[in-house]
Amino acid sequence: MGRLLAMQLIESGYSVSIFDQDSIESGSAAAYTAAGMLTPYTELESAEQPIYNMGLKSLKLWPKLISTLQSDLGFQQQGTLVVAHNNDKADFLKFNQQLNHKKISSDNNVKRLSRTELSEKEPELNSSFDQAIYLEDEAWLNTQKTMQALAKHLLGSGINWYAKTHVSQVHSRKITTLEKSYPFDWVIDTRGLGAKPQWQELRGVRGELVWLKAPEVKLTHMIRLMHPRYRLYVVPQLEDQLYIIGATQIESHDFSPISVRSMMELLSASYAVHSGFGEAKIIQSQTNCRPALRNNLPQVLIDNRLIKINGLFRHGFLLAPTIAQEVTQWLNSNESYQSPFQTLFSEVA
Amino acid sequence: MNPLSSNWQLADKTITSRLLIGTALYPSPQIMQEALAASESQIVTVSLRRQNPRENSGEDFWSLIKNSQYHLLPNTAGCHSVKEAITTAQMAREVFDTNWIKLEVIGDQYNLQPDPLGLIEASKELIAQGFEVFPYCTDDLVICEKLVAAGCRILMPWGAPIGTGKGLINPYALRTLRHRLPETTLIVDAGIGAPSHASFAMELGFDGVLLNTAVAEACEPVKMATAFSHAVQAGRLGFEAGLMQQRDMAQPSTPTLGTPFWHQT
Repeated sequence: MGRLLAMQLIESGYSVSIFDQDSIESGSAAAYTAAGMLTPYTELESAEQPIYNMGLKSLKLWPKLISTLQSDLGFQQQGTLVVAHNNDKADFLKFNQQLNHKKISSDNNVKRLSRTELSEKEPELNSSFDQAIYLEDEAWLNTQKTMQALAKHLLGSGINWYAKTHVSQVHSRKITTLEKSYPFDWVIDTRGLGAKPQWQELRGVRGELVWLKAPEVKLTHMIRLMHPRYRLYVVPQLEDQLYIIGATQIESHDFSPISVRSMMELLSASYAVHSGFGEAKIIQSQTNCRPALRNNLPQVLIDNRLIKINGLFRHGFLLAPTIAQEVTQWLNSNESYQSPFQTLFSEVA
Repeated sequence: MNPLSSNWQLADKTITSRLLIGTALYPSPQIMQEALAASESQIVTVSLRRQNPRENSGEDFWSLIKNSQYHLLPNTAGCHSVKEAITTAQMAREVFDTNWIKLEVIGDQYNLQPDPLGLIEASKELIAQGFEVFPYCTDDLVICEKLVAAGCRILMPWGAPIGTGKGLINPYALRTLRHRLPETTLIVDAGIGAPSHASFAMELGFDGVLLNTAVAEACEPVKMATAFSHAVQAGRLGFEAGLMQQRDMAQPSTPTLGTPFWHQT
């Protein structure tokens, strides 16, 4: 969120400084352990309408951002195939019910595929799936490449970057580190769970995912497997035979390594999607906690000259471009801008 | 609380609502809180097995429920052995400061059917350790009798396997339980998919209904919680009022006095 916002602000003519507890190259932020799915339709399975609305807008913004960055972010817009095994047909029907209830069902980007159509679209998929919902517009990107490309762009723009710097306090117009205080016209806090000491409502929601190298698997779409106990996704990283398999969602502020149970669930479910995963190599597992507010929606909280942006939950890459644009427009308008996303902004009384 | 509802005793608590509700699977904690309020439930279940309870990592989420007016019923969901279930119950007692435990010992991974033998063994041990055990069990009469003999004052037989939403798949067995265990508090747990299922359970004379998925995964959980609240009250009131007996022959509700007798056959 922070890097994308900095990019937008610089484009609008602001002079920007970044304070980051991580190094520029990598770090512990949730962004580094995200699968990079840009899936506003699929998220409707459990997310509320604002996520869909903001996500749709971001989906349109990402190609423009990539064009500005002039880097390969591993961006792919091949769509998502939502499937379920026959025994779990109720979960598939439930997703369909959610699309109908939220009046998304008739969208041209939502296509229902028969077994034959599914087989043509993704021949490698386990043939036991007899239907699918194809969400044509959905996309994904490589989050690590994206973070690096943003850093490169920002550094080239002459930004002041205080890397490996722990911020102890944020205030209106002032940032305090362990060593000193820095005055600014505006302070924007995008620290995620790092902001928890000053935003008690924040909570961490644990997510776990696994990277597999699977030469025998040639999937070209994102796969979302509906299942009563977990929602599995498979995100192909096309050029490297790599696949990200995720993800659990556990209400726990727990950064410890992946559990055996989670690993077993993720691997067995991926094997059920494609038997070629049976011979895949486990490259790494990742765990992190996503910052969430009580309504699981993002919030921009204005407190005098301090703007707090948080609660992007598991939708960081999906929502960040839209939120960055909204905040920039608000600043550009001398604080008079009325966002179309009514739940996004709030002001400290 | 609805003035038509009367108090009843659940273990050491006097409560009014007969709907117990779970706290998993909601789109967000806020919707969960709104749904709990709409359900008018006073007892909520909470799991801890996957939240790394040794490190208290689930505290942010648990605090949303702990700091509320609800009585908490922690569960041992996800436990497949007696040892796991006992350890989880002990951690739950520390985390939630209650001796109540909804005991789940899963015997089959496919349909999450309780392990009846493990359930009896774990119940005996936990009761000996001072727990009030709410065992999640099948509708098997003999197993239920053994659980009562082990010291369980409350039983939670399934309506159908967890999360299936199939309703009461064996009303005969549930009727038998109610008839044979009149002194035991019986709460139908799991398998409830629609408000009418909950009403049916209450009409059978069960003391309460526990559910989660049907509300949490509804398109509108808060509205569904309201529906279940009404359904449970309706079913209970129907039971208390005395349901009419079914008969094979139609009987007009309008008096037939004055109708020629040859027209009455």
